[in-house]
Amino acid sequence: MTKSQSPDTSTDPLPGQPPTRPLRFGTKWRFEKRLHVGWKSEAVVLVVAILVAVGISGLLIMASGAGVWDSYKALLQGAVGSRRSILESLVQATPLIFTGLAAAVAFRAKVWNIGGEGQFFAGAMGAWWIADAAGNTLPQFLMLPLIVVFGAMAGALWAGIAGFLKARYGTNEIIVTVMMNFIILYILSWLLSGPWQAPEEFYFQTVKMPESTWMPTLFADGRLHWGFVLAIIAAIVVYILERKTPLGFEIRGLGINAVAARFKGISVARTTIVVMLISGALAGMAGMVEVSAIHHRLQLDISIGYGFIGIIIALIGRLHPAGVVATAFAFGALVNGATFMQITTGTPAPLVDVIQGLVLITVLIGAVVVQYRIRRLSHDG
Amino acid sequence: MTVSHDSPPPLLSVEHVTKLFPDVVANDDVTLDVRAGEVLCLLGENGAGKTTLVDMLYGVYHPDDGAILFHGEPLQIKSPGEAIELGIGMVHQHFELVTPMSTLENIVIGTDDARWANLPAARKKLEGLCEQYDIHIDLDTEVGMLSVGEQQWVEILKALYTDVELLILDEPTAVLTPQGIQRLFQFLRELKKNGVGIVLVTHKLWEVAEISDRVAVLRKGKLIDIVNTAETDTDELVRLMVGRDVVLQIDKEPAVPGPVVLHVDNIAAPGRSHRGAIKDVTFELRQGEILGLAGVSGNGQSALFDVLVGVNPPTAGTIHIADVDTTHVSPKKIAAAGLSAVPSDRIHQGVMMDFSVQENLILGRHRSSAFVSRGILKRRAIREFAFTAIKDFEIKTPSPVHKIRLLSGGNMQKVILARELMGHPPRVLVVHQPTRGLDIGASEYVRRRLVAERDRGAGVLLISEDLDEVFNLCDRVIVIFGGTIIGAVDPADANYEEIGLLMAGISNDSNGGGGSSS
Repeated sequence: MTKSQSPDTSTDPLPGQPPTRPLRFGTKWRFEKRLHVGWKSEAVVLVVAILVAVGISGLLIMASGAGVWDSYKALLQGAVGSRRSILESLVQATPLIFTGLAAAVAFRAKVWNIGGEGQFFAGAMGAWWIADAAGNTLPQFLMLPLIVVFGAMAGALWAGIAGFLKARYGTNEIIVTVMMNFIILYILSWLLSGPWQAPEEFYFQTVKMPESTWMPTLFADGRLHWGFVLAIIAAIVVYILERKTPLGFEIRGLGINAVAARFKGISVARTTIVVMLISGALAGMAGMVEVSAIHHRLQLDISIGYGFIGIIIALIGRLHPAGVVATAFAFGALVNGATFMQITTGTPAPLVDVIQGLVLITVLIGAVVVQYRIRRLSHDG
Repeated sequence: MTVSHDSPPPLLSVEHVTKLFPDVVANDDVTLDVRAGEVLCLLGENGAGKTTLVDMLYGVYHPDDGAILFHGEPLQIKSPGEAIELGIGMVHQHFELVTPMSTLENIVIGTDDARWANLPAARKKLEGLCEQYDIHIDLDTEVGMLSVGEQQWVEILKALYTDVELLILDEPTAVLTPQGIQRLFQFLRELKKNGVGIVLVTHKLWEVAEISDRVAVLRKGKLIDIVNTAETDTDELVRLMVGRDVVLQIDKEPAVPGPVVLHVDNIAAPGRSHRGAIKDVTFELRQGEILGLAGVSGNGQSALFDVLVGVNPPTAGTIHIADVDTTHVSPKKIAAAGLSAVPSDRIHQGVMMDFSVQENLILGRHRSSAFVSRGILKRRAIREFAFTAIKDFEIKTPSPVHKIRLLSGGNMQKVILARELMGHPPRVLVVHQPTRGLDIGASEYVRRRLVAERDRGAGVLLISEDLDEVFNLCDRVIVIFGGTIIGAVDPADANYEEIGLLMAGISNDSNGGGGSSS
């Protein structure tokens, strides 16, 4: 039955009063939440978000007095215009893939590791230390894996402290990891001004690592190195870990519902620590590749904020390893193209930072907007 | 009693009201009215649209179509505050009280009488109301210190204080003992005499028969019928409510209890909040029986459940599953010892809403060799397990990889049951409010499963606040009050009077412990 059959005739209004008519409104529009968001809507929203960010950035370029079209053309050319520039964009993307994965793994478990920057430095320090200590004694085929392991372990340990404090004492990992970013920077600057400073050196930097410990390049031309391959392998491993293993099942479960996880025997403390170790290891590997493949020594300016940009990349990449790799490449290309743009058109390179920030904001807004739809209410009666 | 059919004018008219939510039509062209001095029951299963309908009367939601008339005037309220001003009061399922404040403060808060100067007058008025309706509440006690039943009276006083003409009560009896329900009904009859119109939302049939003059039955958002209570019976109401005939009584053989599978000795543990701790709980559960643990909510049931599952370590006492000491071991080891559990709060404790059905089905056993080989989850084995579970437990889902959040409560509960039973038949099955929020069909299914588990040889502990369920299903019944087991009743007698006294803390023997509260 579709209509209530006016079950009780005595429900009519008082005699003398006009019978009440149901109010029928005209067509109405409703803003309501979707139950299910398809990948097509997601894709459309992503493209629109990027276009909006690019559009707003265009206004800023205009304000700076440069030509919008020329600037973007130069940016694109510098980023992917030639084999050389593509290879260089991949070099820029490599640490970003690692730090992006680091943030993505942690955020998947709703463990908010904001200390990617500090773990980056920890990894760089671990890599340099082992290279400096054992580089002249061990053969290259042993040395390179050892550097990778030490870089990862140093990052994992630095993050593990925050993980342990959270698991054991319930401390807020956001505050702890942020503070530990400062701690490691101050430790490093102390080391660089004393114990680790290169002898007879004016600058705050270490000696160069022995050449046998350098991460080899992939091609004869350009700087693209094996670290990039490692980054891609890391992304695949993270994907398999999250989707195909019991540990990944627990990590995702922790992020979705920690209470239900605990009820079903998943140790929240243990999983939190493990997540922090994995996340820190990934961030540490970013520092490791930058030291062993690019700088070959420790300095305070080996990071342009890779740890923090990694957070942005993880969020834009929707915490998915493939999304992280794609976003990291886009960001690496932007960084790479910015220099070319500045040289050829005079548009300031830091504009790229603005574009990155704007993309994050528009994508995050888009992620909320896509959950809603506007529905037309019409009445057939 | 019969209602005269011609006279009293409708206090409130609901005219062709429709309310849409994204996934569902919560109310579809509903038309009904409430007269002054009558009790209208809104009867329907969970999800029938009862709460949505009364929320619209109270200004929480607004109809997408249709109109609501109060005293013949279109009701145009934007908030509950305006509803209260007009004389529409509501007692919610979940109380809206400020627990650190006194009863008096809770009642005057938000009104003009919250000023110091007006407090004595407010107190006087409240004392008058308490006397008139025989309500015993100390106006100066912190609301947080009151029992749940008493808190409900504070909510009722709040409505009375604002000179209510229409009082809406949403499932008010869920937190009451049988005696508490009688007192509430007595009060509602008084209120009726004074010309107040009362809307009682419920899904319990005997309450309808006991208190209402008319009953409006909702099903899937539609008004199915409005009938005079005197001219109907339970069978007809069930048919209207469910749309088919339902067997309310579960048939079961007499229990054949075996050896004790769960010993709980002098357990004490903190509650989830400052209330509801357990102080000293001792009982034994035998193989092949269903033991009921009855009690008013908030008397330690959740704390006990948490202790048994292993997420709330007890501060005293011991627990043994068969011969294994499980007092201080992890939830994982307790599960391995043969305890399965179904928590009361499906959505927050039971399932992972963003996991698929099959992922939820293996949750907890996701490291078992049945589903993992060489460190990798076995896709095919998991899928096959899921298909079997979906078939055996009659889970309605488009596919095993469907997100569980898109399933109905009943189907979620079936997923949980399958997870807790399939492939690892438990020795001890602890279920907490297993049919809460389920429709009649799903409840029936869950209850039959519990009996089947008993007959297979599990010891089943049923923690429930639903006395009908307890009496219907259990072979033995114990009652918890104030964190201790205060006594036992024989379910064969189904003596509501006796169990009600125990639930209120009045022990039937001298060594029961606990005091009288209400």
